[in-house]
Amino acid sequence: MMRRDYILSAVLLVIAVGLPWLDPPRYLLAQGLLLFCWATVVSQWNLVFGIAGIFSLAQIAIFAVGAYSTAMMGRYLEMNLWYAFPIAGVIGVIFSLLIGLGCLRMRGVYVALLTIAVGQVLFVLIMGDGECSPLNPGICMSFTGGPSGMGGFGGFGWREVLGGRHFIIGDYYSMLGLLILAMAFTFWIIHSRMGLAFKALRDNPELASSRGISRFKYQLLVFALSAFFTAEAGAFFAAHFGSVGPGQLSFTLLLFLISMLIVGGMGRPWGPLLGAFLIMGGDEFLKEAGEWRHIGFGVMLLVFMIFLPDGVAGLIDRVWRRLTTRGGAARAGKAAPAE
Amino acid sequence: MDYLIQIIVSGLTLGSMYALSAVGLSLVWGSFNCLNMAHGSVMALGAYFTLIAVDSIGFPVWVSLPFAMVGGALVGTAVYYLSVHWMLNTRNYETNIIIATFGIGMVMENGLLKIFGGYPYAQPLTVQGVAGLIGNVPVNYRSIVIWVVAAVLMVALGLLLTRTRAGRAIRAVAQNRDGAKLMGVPVARVYVQVLMLASLLAAVSGILISTTLQIVPYMGANPLLKAFIVICLAGLGNILGALYAALLVGLVEASASTLWAPQYGFPVILVVVILALIWRPEGLFGRVMVARQ
Repeated sequence: MMRRDYILSAVLLVIAVGLPWLDPPRYLLAQGLLLFCWATVVSQWNLVFGIAGIFSLAQIAIFAVGAYSTAMMGRYLEMNLWYAFPIAGVIGVIFSLLIGLGCLRMRGVYVALLTIAVGQVLFVLIMGDGECSPLNPGICMSFTGGPSGMGGFGGFGWREVLGGRHFIIGDYYSMLGLLILAMAFTFWIIHSRMGLAFKALRDNPELASSRGISRFKYQLLVFALSAFFTAEAGAFFAAHFGSVGPGQLSFTLLLFLISMLIVGGMGRPWGPLLGAFLIMGGDEFLKEAGEWRHIGFGVMLLVFMIFLPDGVAGLIDRVWRRLTTRGGAARAGKAAPAE
Repeated sequence: MDYLIQIIVSGLTLGSMYALSAVGLSLVWGSFNCLNMAHGSVMALGAYFTLIAVDSIGFPVWVSLPFAMVGGALVGTAVYYLSVHWMLNTRNYETNIIIATFGIGMVMENGLLKIFGGYPYAQPLTVQGVAGLIGNVPVNYRSIVIWVVAAVLMVALGLLLTRTRAGRAIRAVAQNRDGAKLMGVPVARVYVQVLMLASLLAAVSGILISTTLQIVPYMGANPLLKAFIVICLAGLGNILGALYAALLVGLVEASASTLWAPQYGFPVILVVVILALIWRPEGLFGRVMVARQ
């Protein structure tokens, strides 16, 4: 981590922690909480896609697995959700390990196609699930809840601690805590041996693999580890809203999240956070636009891919580098004759 | 026995529809390594084109098919000049183009939603009635039309690719882009032609699909995924393989939905294909692994 990163995280942390003390409207807190949730998902997607170079579109499937397994543990096993969260994360890891073992031996584009199909299969299975389950006594509801989703599994439990007026602050800080952990994990991966391995594999694949760096091994590792926080984000999402549904596997959500990744800047640690902020902010403006909203997203994806494939973070990086190197070069030029 | 006949009849029908869209996708990938995510929306557009031709303009029903084919080809050209044209040979082209065409598809799909609304329409270009029984299984005229249209177009595509100058140019580009360029093949023009051809096939595929279901803006999403699975199974860029794989996937899906339940068709396909790809990562019909960087 560079000094710039430390300063940036400190500033952002103060803003995020301080926001509830300014007594903002409830809507702002709810949106902030959602921002943390999406930023968590996208930060892990960035690890998989931007750092490890796996073009996986299974992230929403893992997110949904986290959400659904939390909901099921709460509803059918009557578990306190705080115990269910870590289990949901582990289930997400196992799920993604299975996908990874199946798909990661193939090349980039195959991975994209197969992982997008995995999410779609889950969607089809949940939508077609209409059999009454004996686990839901008294009503006819299928095991997954089918197209209408399921609820009635509890929540974070802040309502009991903080009361009905302020429980959202508890939810807000819970989600913020998750995002902080996910960001710390991102930086840790980038600077760990795994991050170095991917850097080596990107810079010189032949040399790296001849030195014994196995692309498959490291890709599988990152793919599985990052699934923990993705599933956890799903679990927290379910706990906050108190319901889950097949909409979490929709193309719309996939598009929304991938826009954050692209607009923010892939492969850069701060990209996802920036992207989530920009897209959610932009979305506020497009709220009234109705169907134009999705058209706007489509056009934006296209424009960014053509003109700014490394996103706003990439643009900032380039501008920053040009400013600093020009300044540096000028100073070096002036300093040289004096020596 | 009736189950078997039922599986073959509906499997061939599904397979014919998948083949038309999968072959186009495979052709596009083979020529310029572009996985066209807008392909599904072109299918939907094709179905809407017949609707426009018959309901809005008032053409006779049989004119609507060529109308939709021309429309599809034009849309293909537009897709090329909106995305591929600007992005070819840039860094991370193979992944970026997927996202860019995804964006285009999203625009087209939501454009349709904006213009026509989400209400399902019936496809005007269809035939009714049962042609006869095989065993105890009724065979619709509709299925027969689907088989015939798919077969005719596949043969026409085969002749185009093997017997004509334009087809030879397309194959030359698919085999070796730089080599073709050095031999004086106008590569950029070939790219446009390929995307026009693929989109034309997609439009027809969309029309055929909408005769069995309904016309809705997002109708292309599911067939597109199936077509992707088909070309993965065949090996990307293998056109003849895509044809066989489409029929195979159609039969597997028909077996799963006939013997088990309709909603298990797709999951079963996916599991079968992933197992097949673990066994042969280059695809069932991929003879040589062509690694393009």
